[in-house]
Amino acid sequence: MSIKHLTKPFRYEKIPLKKIREDKRDKAKNTTGTIKRIWSYLAREKWKLLLVILMVMASSALSLLGPFMVGMAVDDYIVEKARSGLGMLLIWLIVIYLCHSLAIFLQNFWMVGIAQNTVYQLRADLFQQFHRLPIAYFDKRQHGELMSRLTNDIDNINNTLNQSVIQILTSMLTLVGTIGVMLYLSPLLTLITMTIIPMMLLAMRWITKRTGPLYKKQQRDLGDVNGYVEEIVSGQHVVKTFSQEQRVIDSFQTNNTKLRRSFFWAQTFTGFIPKVMNMLNFLSFGLIALAGGILAIKGWITVGVIVIFTEYARQFTRPLNELSNQFNILLAAVAGAERVFSVIDEEEEETDERHARELKTTTGHFRFANVHFAYDDTPILKNISFEAKPGETVAFVGHTGAGKTTIINLIARFYNYDKGKITLDGIDLKKIKRSSLRSHMAFVLQDTFLFHGTIRENIRYGRLDATDEEIVKAAKRANAHDFITRLPHGYDTVLDQDGSGISQGERQLLTIARAFLAEPSILILDEATSNIDTITELQIQDALKTLMHGRTSFVIAHRLNTIQEADTIVMLENGTIVEKGNHDALIKKQGHYYHLYKKQLTGSLNDQNCS
Amino acid sequence: MQTIFSLLKRYRLFIIVAYSLTFFELMIELLLPFFLGKMINDGVVNKDLHNIIMWGSIMIGLALFSFVAGVFNSFFAAHTSASFGYDLRDRLFRKIQSFSFIHLSQNPTSALMTRFTNDIRQIQNTVFMGLRIMVKAPLIVIGGVVMAFIVNVKLAFIFLVTVPLLVSFIFWVLKHSSRMFEQVQQRVDTVNRVMQENLAGMRLIKAFLRRDFEENRFVKANRDLAHMTRIAFRFVEASMPVLLFIMNMSLIFILWFGHGQIIDGQILVGDVVAIVNYALRVSMAISMFTFITLAVSRMQASSERLSHVLRIKVDQNDDKKIQQQTVVEKGSIRFENVSFAYPLSEENVLSNITFTVQPGEKLAIIGATGSGKTSLFQLIPRLYEPLKGTIYIDARPTVSYRLEQLRRAIGYVPQNPLLFTGSIKDNIRWGKEQATLKEIRQAARDAQIHDTIMELPDGYDTRVGQKGVNLSGGQKQRISIARALIRQPKILMLDDSTSALDMATESRLLDAIQQYNCTTLIITQKISTALRADRILLIDDGKMLAIGTHSELLETSALYQRIVESQFGKEYKHVH
Repeated sequence: MSIKHLTKPFRYEKIPLKKIREDKRDKAKNTTGTIKRIWSYLAREKWKLLLVILMVMASSALSLLGPFMVGMAVDDYIVEKARSGLGMLLIWLIVIYLCHSLAIFLQNFWMVGIAQNTVYQLRADLFQQFHRLPIAYFDKRQHGELMSRLTNDIDNINNTLNQSVIQILTSMLTLVGTIGVMLYLSPLLTLITMTIIPMMLLAMRWITKRTGPLYKKQQRDLGDVNGYVEEIVSGQHVVKTFSQEQRVIDSFQTNNTKLRRSFFWAQTFTGFIPKVMNMLNFLSFGLIALAGGILAIKGWITVGVIVIFTEYARQFTRPLNELSNQFNILLAAVAGAERVFSVIDEEEEETDERHARELKTTTGHFRFANVHFAYDDTPILKNISFEAKPGETVAFVGHTGAGKTTIINLIARFYNYDKGKITLDGIDLKKIKRSSLRSHMAFVLQDTFLFHGTIRENIRYGRLDATDEEIVKAAKRANAHDFITRLPHGYDTVLDQDGSGISQGERQLLTIARAFLAEPSILILDEATSNIDTITELQIQDALKTLMHGRTSFVIAHRLNTIQEADTIVMLENGTIVEKGNHDALIKKQGHYYHLYKKQLTGSLNDQNCS
Repeated sequence: MQTIFSLLKRYRLFIIVAYSLTFFELMIELLLPFFLGKMINDGVVNKDLHNIIMWGSIMIGLALFSFVAGVFNSFFAAHTSASFGYDLRDRLFRKIQSFSFIHLSQNPTSALMTRFTNDIRQIQNTVFMGLRIMVKAPLIVIGGVVMAFIVNVKLAFIFLVTVPLLVSFIFWVLKHSSRMFEQVQQRVDTVNRVMQENLAGMRLIKAFLRRDFEENRFVKANRDLAHMTRIAFRFVEASMPVLLFIMNMSLIFILWFGHGQIIDGQILVGDVVAIVNYALRVSMAISMFTFITLAVSRMQASSERLSHVLRIKVDQNDDKKIQQQTVVEKGSIRFENVSFAYPLSEENVLSNITFTVQPGEKLAIIGATGSGKTSLFQLIPRLYEPLKGTIYIDARPTVSYRLEQLRRAIGYVPQNPLLFTGSIKDNIRWGKEQATLKEIRQAARDAQIHDTIMELPDGYDTRVGQKGVNLSGGQKQRISIARALIRQPKILMLDDSTSALDMATESRLLDAIQQYNCTTLIITQKISTALRADRILLIDDGKMLAIGTHSELLETSALYQRIVESQFGKEYKHVH
């Protein structure tokens, strides 16, 4: 292998620091601020932390006392050959060593507790924050990238707390002790030893100026890799059916190469830190030897002082060396913490307006008056007015993208309307607490959401205090009971998140059972039966009718026959209402709805005539 | 473990260089006291200023030299661990890409993700530390013991008791702790799973006001993880004081026996001092061992988990005998007595399915939810293999095609339209990499989504997928249809892919598909859609009930009659 082969890998393209800093993804963050925030988490464990510090002090002192007593034993009993008394001294030594081990055990034991509590709290805070964020936040981010913050970034903090805190404390204590002894021995030589400190600070500044941004970039690239992987792995069925494996491997490699590059530079530069410390350590040794030698010739100091002093200089740089080693881990942790905090600092879903109140009961009387809504400056809904009296069913009809789902999002206040007014029982929707509003609603959406757990648990999601009997009853009403009992473990069948094992339609039946269980005053069905075959649909139509009875219901459906009995049919086109009325009235009117209805009916009949 | 470490072999040379440079630094550290002694003996004692300056400069020079070695070391170590991590990720990703559906259903996304995020990171960190700091401590221990034996075999004898004790203790700790860390990683899996489910179902969680419920689920997973981590860390960290104590006890024995031998005059004072000195150094180095044990046991647990995935046998490799060139030309499909059951399940999802579809024919498949329609679909591109029977395409069994050739001929539109992060253009191009902009527009037009795309702020460059804008279910469906159409497939498979489309749009879409000269299979719930097909296949509970035209089925099948009635009701009968 040639030199060329060896140097080839190092041609990693340089990463311009300016670019990292200019990256909009992190707003100007400061490291001290982040450390302060980590501290605010640690401060919850003040008392334990104090105990740890006490134990570190004890173990540091004992670790100095041990060798000191060994030295005494050597002087008296080995060199001077004293005959009696060694036994007693050794017993003392055993006691010291026992205490030393005990102190170390306790400091570790408590520190692990502190670290785990802190990390636990961070994870919990991050999770809670995810639930406070508006839906739009998730629409714009990859799940894997967010998960990366929960795993990698928090793990970095965990490592630091477990290892670095004690190490740093011990090093600092040793440093203070050593400097004291050195000053006592020779202030002049101490001064010479100290000359490496400015050099050290300069070097550290040079390095950290690079490593800080590089670590940030590394964590970000790592997040990108993880985001890509999560997305591809969860969409693996599409990759497979299109046999695009090679292609995703190629794009993965692009991401992975980017990560390798930032990892390489971040690690290389942090790798310099211990090397610089090592060199300064050797340098101070040389300087002391040189200066000490000259001073000794002049007779200012003895040879013994030189020997002792070089030894102490070693002791002086050793903790510095440790500190710099820990710096590495600390940097990664700070970079990780910044990413965690940046989510926590993200703007939350608009909180309820100041005078928002609870709504104990509701009749479900909705009224839209000239409502406008725009998403990212694109107007979606214009001048929407209609009324849903208590217990009525309002159906929304229109082409894909006409704004049907948006209206529903406004009713549940996932989105905030811009102009106009929506009232429930005459109360402005903005004056009702979101949670209170939603507690009166049940949703059956086209996207089913089932989590990893049994079927029973998944249905109970509709009302958490429901009994097993109530669950079975709800399942029966939703016509889900039959297929559930046919499954090998019945209601205790465990579902995967991706729901393998049961079909899309069966998943929907479970969510309908969930709505039955919830017994809401307001019901929202958004393409609830689109994935269910028409015979099954027919079977649950009756059940749905019972469910909708006495409840204000908002329905979106493409199959017009399913909504013919609605009290009001609202026909939408491009975000405006073009027609409004019940089925018979709209048919009589022979307008948009009539044409759509005729098309649906005759379209099929024409074809049938052909065949 | 071995699977993982075989990957390190490629970097042998770099590792050797990195270690040599570390040795070089260690040597300088050992040489400095030696030069100091020389300086004192020759310079200070003889009051030779010239000599002192010479040795002093040599020492300062060596210090600078060590720095150069250190900087090089950094490059070599960083390169090795960066590339090693790259290789691990690459290997794992490739492996997942080679998985069949069976493997994927056995390894949930969240578990695979933890391997990517946590496990690889753990291994990479340990390797990196191994290259830089972890060697020093074991070297000092070994060196110290060896030196002690050289100085005085008799007194160093005590090490023969303590060192094996220490080593076996460390191994005992490693064995147990790696098992504990494996449990920790499993709990990380759980935390991730809950998190992933939450991210995926955020809208519904908000709608159902189940934040507290989800939080409780997360709290449980989170608490379990913290608990296990606490146990594992404490176990390892408790072992360190024990190690230290054992080592310190040997020091006490040395002092006791050394004293006895000194009194008897059997040993020199300097020898005892030297051995005591070595024992002190060794016990100092042992404090590094917790750190090492922690890193190694975490790495062990993680590499075990990683190797487990990497070792999974991928059974779906192409038969080597298959001719490379065989392609699907016409697109006829024949099922012959096909039965199918999902792995680890006893119940047949499909039994004895037999039918033929001619090239260019349109076949609608209709049946209740859960009757096995999608399972039937998945057998054609060999996402799963049938339990019994054979599927032929162009009169050749599907297994006689190379997987890539087979799937290349198929345009599959899944029930759940999934788009990837990227522009709409990228997503459509997914179906055919070299597609021109014109082709993309044509496919979009045929899928009835062109106009909608043009209304979006950035048109075809609008970003969609996890990081993109919110598209409605119907819009996503049509993009995923365009993605299938652009391949100019011989066989087009639509798995209830028009459910969210309104009648008019759907009708235009089906007209457009007509122009593509392909065999089309459509799973649908709607009779109106089925009517557009040449024939209709009716399945119920995994069994084929009937196949034929609308009129044929209307006459022969009671179930079909009921379905038609359920959709057209009175009006239909009236017209009929």
